[in-house]
Amino acid sequence: MQKQNISEFNFEQCQKCAICTTVCPVLANNELYPGPKQAGPDGERYRMKNPVFYDEMLKFCLNCKRCEVACPSGVKVGDMIQNAKLTLGKRSHVLRDTMLASTDFVGPLASAFAPVANLALGMKPVKAVLDATIGVSKHRTMPKYSSQTFESWFKKNKQSEQDAYKNHISYYHGCYANFNFPQLGKDFVAVLNALGYGVHLLDKEECCGVAMISAGMLKQVRKKAQHNVDIMKTAVEAGRKIVTVSTSCTMTLRDEYPHLLEIDNSAVRDSIVLVEKFLYQVISKGDVKLVWKPDYKAKAAYHAPCHQERLGLGNFTIELLRMIPGLELTLLDSHCCGMAGTYGFKKENYETSQKVGKELFDGIKAVNPDFVACECETCKWQIEMSTGYAVKNPVSILAEALDLEATAAANK
Amino acid sequence: MRYDVVIIGGGLAGKTAATALQAKGLKCAVVADGLSLRDVDLKEFVAAGGSLFSGDRVVKANVEDGRVLSLVTERLEDELLVADNYILATGKYFSRGIVADMNSVYEPVFGLDVEADEDRSGWFDRDFAADQKFMSFGVRNYGQGRVALEGVVLTNLFAAGEVLAGITGIEADAKEIIVKSALDAVANIN
Repeated sequence: MQKQNISEFNFEQCQKCAICTTVCPVLANNELYPGPKQAGPDGERYRMKNPVFYDEMLKFCLNCKRCEVACPSGVKVGDMIQNAKLTLGKRSHVLRDTMLASTDFVGPLASAFAPVANLALGMKPVKAVLDATIGVSKHRTMPKYSSQTFESWFKKNKQSEQDAYKNHISYYHGCYANFNFPQLGKDFVAVLNALGYGVHLLDKEECCGVAMISAGMLKQVRKKAQHNVDIMKTAVEAGRKIVTVSTSCTMTLRDEYPHLLEIDNSAVRDSIVLVEKFLYQVISKGDVKLVWKPDYKAKAAYHAPCHQERLGLGNFTIELLRMIPGLELTLLDSHCCGMAGTYGFKKENYETSQKVGKELFDGIKAVNPDFVACECETCKWQIEMSTGYAVKNPVSILAEALDLEATAAANK
Repeated sequence: MRYDVVIIGGGLAGKTAATALQAKGLKCAVVADGLSLRDVDLKEFVAAGGSLFSGDRVVKANVEDGRVLSLVTERLEDELLVADNYILATGKYFSRGIVADMNSVYEPVFGLDVEADEDRSGWFDRDFAADQKFMSFGVRNYGQGRVALEGVVLTNLFAAGEVLAGITGIEADAKEIIVKSALDAVANIN
């Protein structure tokens, strides 16, 4: 008698239709990568028999999860590949991968010496040395570090005012807003405060671990994940939602923790909400009022990052941006930018990363916007480096388009 | 999120319905589970202001007094999709618009009334090349794509394409049949 079974990652639901291979951005540009069908369900069948069948070429997967979004049968193709990499992959370039992935270890160091670090990382000889020694591509423009972290700015300037608001949320800012681009965090606080929400930090937030998962640092990342779940529990018990800005952090905190790391986040998962969804919901319920600047005018092109496609929340961003009078919005065709977090930094991936992004870059140039709207920080690095167009997070766009003082007065 | 019409399914039937409804000036959303025609054929729909929820699926429907009130999707969670009218265009077995288990054939989102033999032995012919009866199973069509829940015809949900009983998708003129069924369903909505 035939039995119905439920396997991990919906493995047995694969019908071999191969539609995942049509959307894989790596397969089209790197012949060494076997593609999501072979790397995923086909390979899994062999790996289950004997791990010796693990193919090291799986390292080329950039974890965009487009295969999962495309799958009509609900197979978790991307998770399956990540899991194989995590449990069976050999780690090459240990030093580089550890450095790239340990964002909240490297971040404070680089921030402390920001002027020196930024200067050095911009210099050709330094880049040549990094390329030759640890395998960070010399063609890559390195992200800038900020000398003042978001957290230290917030504690010094804003924290004491937050209890005075009538509503409260906890803010998971992520490493990028903290170490590289505190302006994003400042914009977040400005918008949320104007809408009448007090912003609170979590108790010693750590990196979500998305880059460590890519680097196969299972032990380290599980420790971070457990810590983050614990501190988020405290916030949830205080009745606060945990609002996030990064789509990749959000996907990791909500989905990768239980699916890949076997960390139980059920007590906090439903309370972790991407800022665009949070804002759309409070605005559409009529909980808050918005006052726009009368003279705001801009032309934007929206790029939905891969992990936003996976989260499936892009329509919240689109609806929010459409609310802005004076913003002319074009939706770009959905393509991966090729960066995929730390992937594009790696010497062996640089060329693939640029080829993958080409369709998106061409699309942006055809629109010729004032800026690209995008929720993802690493898409920002890639798009800004490869096209010259500025990329703005939707929260920053809102901060520019809203009359923040008048909005704050309306929500008192 | 509020729309005039929510279309479940982004295949040929869903796309036909979505573009036809959009042409009537209605605000539409398409929920498409997995890649079908969405990236190719729904570009114009999106460019014209339509909303596409790709890689998402409806997991539950709230129905009261013969009327669909809202839909719950896997990704939107607590944010419901609310519309005046709904189109079901989820296809047949491959796309899970119709599900067959060992003893029954059912429509998984709403639990609509289906046309299917109760006795499993009548579902198929052991002759591989013969007409297979299960291919024509599907949601019972009460005319123009109207559908029913336990015999009560719903007032604002209409089905189109292969999810309907009698449409197999392998007829020689399958495309025409599917497009016509979608336009029939659309004709119910003003």
